[in-house]
Amino acid sequence: MGCTTIDASKVAAMFLAGAANLDAKKEWINELNVFPVPDGDTGTNMSMTIMSAAGAVAALNDPTLDEVAKAISTGSLRGARGNSGVILSQLFRGFAKACEGKKTVNAEIMADAFDKAVETAYKAVMKPKEGTILTVAKAGADKCRELYSLGEEDLEVYIDEIIAAEEKMLARTPEMLPVLKEAGVVDSGGQGLVVVLQGLRDAFQGKTIDYKAIEAAPTAKKIDAAALLDSDIKFGYCTEFIIMLTSPISLEKEQGFRTYLESIGDSIVLVADDELIKVHVHTNEPGNAIQKALTFGPLSNMKIDNMRLEHHENVIKMSEAQAAEQKKANEKKMPHKETGFVAVAAGAGLANIFRELGADYVIEGGQTMNPSTEDILDAIDKVNADTVFVLPNNKNIYLAANQAGQLCEDKKIVVLKTNTIPQGITALINYVPNMSAEENAEAMEIEFTRVKTGEVTYAVRDTSIDGHEIHQGDYMGIGDGKMKAVGKDMEEVILKMLESQVDEESALISIYYGEEISEDKAEELRQSVEKLYPDLDVELQDGGQPVYYYITSVE
Amino acid sequence: MGKIAVVTDTNCGLTPEQGLKMGVHIIPMPFYINDTEYLESVDMSIADFYKREKEGVDVHTSQASPASVLEKWDELLENHDQIVHIPMSSALSSSYDTAMMLSNDYEGRVFVVDNKRISITQMQSAIDAMYLAGQGLDGAQIRERLEAGALDCSIYIMLDTLTYLKKGGRITPTAAALGNLLRLKPVLQIQGEKLDAFAKARTSQAGKSIMINAIKKDIDERFGGDADNINLWVVHSDNLEECEKFREEVKEVIPIENIDIYELPCSIGVHIGPGSLAVGITKKVK
Repeated sequence: MGCTTIDASKVAAMFLAGAANLDAKKEWINELNVFPVPDGDTGTNMSMTIMSAAGAVAALNDPTLDEVAKAISTGSLRGARGNSGVILSQLFRGFAKACEGKKTVNAEIMADAFDKAVETAYKAVMKPKEGTILTVAKAGADKCRELYSLGEEDLEVYIDEIIAAEEKMLARTPEMLPVLKEAGVVDSGGQGLVVVLQGLRDAFQGKTIDYKAIEAAPTAKKIDAAALLDSDIKFGYCTEFIIMLTSPISLEKEQGFRTYLESIGDSIVLVADDELIKVHVHTNEPGNAIQKALTFGPLSNMKIDNMRLEHHENVIKMSEAQAAEQKKANEKKMPHKETGFVAVAAGAGLANIFRELGADYVIEGGQTMNPSTEDILDAIDKVNADTVFVLPNNKNIYLAANQAGQLCEDKKIVVLKTNTIPQGITALINYVPNMSAEENAEAMEIEFTRVKTGEVTYAVRDTSIDGHEIHQGDYMGIGDGKMKAVGKDMEEVILKMLESQVDEESALISIYYGEEISEDKAEELRQSVEKLYPDLDVELQDGGQPVYYYITSVE
Repeated sequence: MGKIAVVTDTNCGLTPEQGLKMGVHIIPMPFYINDTEYLESVDMSIADFYKREKEGVDVHTSQASPASVLEKWDELLENHDQIVHIPMSSALSSSYDTAMMLSNDYEGRVFVVDNKRISITQMQSAIDAMYLAGQGLDGAQIRERLEAGALDCSIYIMLDTLTYLKKGGRITPTAAALGNLLRLKPVLQIQGEKLDAFAKARTSQAGKSIMINAIKKDIDERFGGDADNINLWVVHSDNLEECEKFREEVKEVIPIENIDIYELPCSIGVHIGPGSLAVGITKKVK
């Protein structure tokens, strides 16, 4: 005989197991990156996203399903980083939404929740692409809906079948996305999702899970402590007493009393017989509960505990720390202005360039470390302006930036879809103070989409992409997401990549050299490029970026 | 109803001969190369001025000598009743202050206009003054009309380099705001009192579209959206070939058949150097 419902604590345990499994396998998922660049981070991003939610769930004590759902939803949303992380957080959010107001999960809720999860995630992506985590999630949801329509009630069957369906779809992703097929990998985000579900199943089946990873997630802990302490204890006093009835109470009156208690609190227990009523309620108004009770008779065995006390001390400590931080921030607070800019960049040189061009805050990050929604929100918060433009400067940061934009309530946020550092630089340069945010966004986009970006790094494994045979250690020139040149000689690779990008309209080539390149070596490259393109301006800048020896732009 | 003469200076971009053909009297502005004085468009053409500037010689400009102004007025008043005198913008030079002071002795006869114009917008002011005189307005009325329309104009200039702006020292805060790390094409705006950094671009192409968009926006939002209601020119400093291309690009966006090309006067050139492109508009005076 199977299991037809899952209660809140089991849902929490399953979620934690899913998170632990993903965290344990993140390196493996990182390596599924299509481009063999040394920055594969889908696994890390998804893991950090789910760990933020796991931290929130782990902090709950004997929670209701509502509370678990809320912790998962809020925790993953704020911790979301990278595209796959953001999509994962949206899947959780949709799933959690369907659990709202429910006590346990059964087949019907399961079917609704999977549908809602997929629907929410698809909405988060402007142009949903098939062959990705979205397709894999949808296969699971479709299977779930199918089982429900067949009248299946055993949740074990659901979990097994959903995972099977998703694994099958995952195996098909290379057929749907040629880049995957060429690189010989399945979609990394989809794989991450399957790993989460496999972890969930282990907990469902009662296998022992190692939660060490979850406890060791300091960022996750830090993120939710604040959110949780405020939101979790809605009603602060656990209030218990017994009413000694002067006369038997009618069912109507008993119901009226219960309704009243529900209006001032929750977790209500009310047991009545002819002589007495036992009452238990969590409320902020213990006095009112007692006063109302006295209308039915004298009270005994009264006990009121302040449930917030212990948490309260934490809250005070935390708010003190926050106040200190705020004060520090205020001291350095820039004068208020109409428009501000937040940019994401890795490398001291690039950060300087962004600052000089007017960025108010540069988030250290990029290829190797995608900032989370929360990181971007924090940065926005520090900019004292009515409108804040966010320049993610990386394809994989755009969604998190967008999510931050939606979460920010007190400022107008404009997220520009700058996919590369040079695009971000050109966008910022083209900002015109006298024009509206909308006009600027439009004009900036026209200009930065004209920029052709090149990125040069080395291959971490053998593979084949865009028709290029690549060996581990080869230099690769990646132009706007496409493999443009591969070889053993770095300069040759760069020149070949540039050759594919320069055309009649080109006027300027910019070269930003990374932390591993000396100025002399970069200058040599500049001269080679100048010799090749005597009609173009060639500009050399110290970018100081990790991972990429050179970032170039042609415009 | 008396006879009115319109006087302006070579900051309007016209030579004295060109001015006379239009019926406008033009006082040449002096500039100095290595301490030798030249009169703009008389002793040296604007084109030659830019050639010398490119060579790296030390150039600076000055306001017209009071004597040359008084001489012109006295000469004109012999057969005119009134003079409308339109010097370059009081925000950029003290020419206006000097002329205003000199006009105290010519009360009721010389009317000095303060409408903050320069280059082609100043030229248009002189043409407008002629038109208004033809409509029967007297000197005081013409001055009033021109000053009321002081802000009905815009000039956007894209510099080829920041070098001259920095060297000149006169617009330092503007230059400072434009940054030093990257090579940029700054776009400046002249409007009323303001000579300010408007925007910056990475390439000439981007700078040109910033200027065209700005002019389009001015036409739509400030001048009623109708290209028939404005005068438009493209202007340059020693950059004729590019300016001709720029003119075609402007035409693609703004439906005006004939767009004339002028050179930026030396008083601007000394600060921005050769190689710049500009576009200017004024609202038509009717």
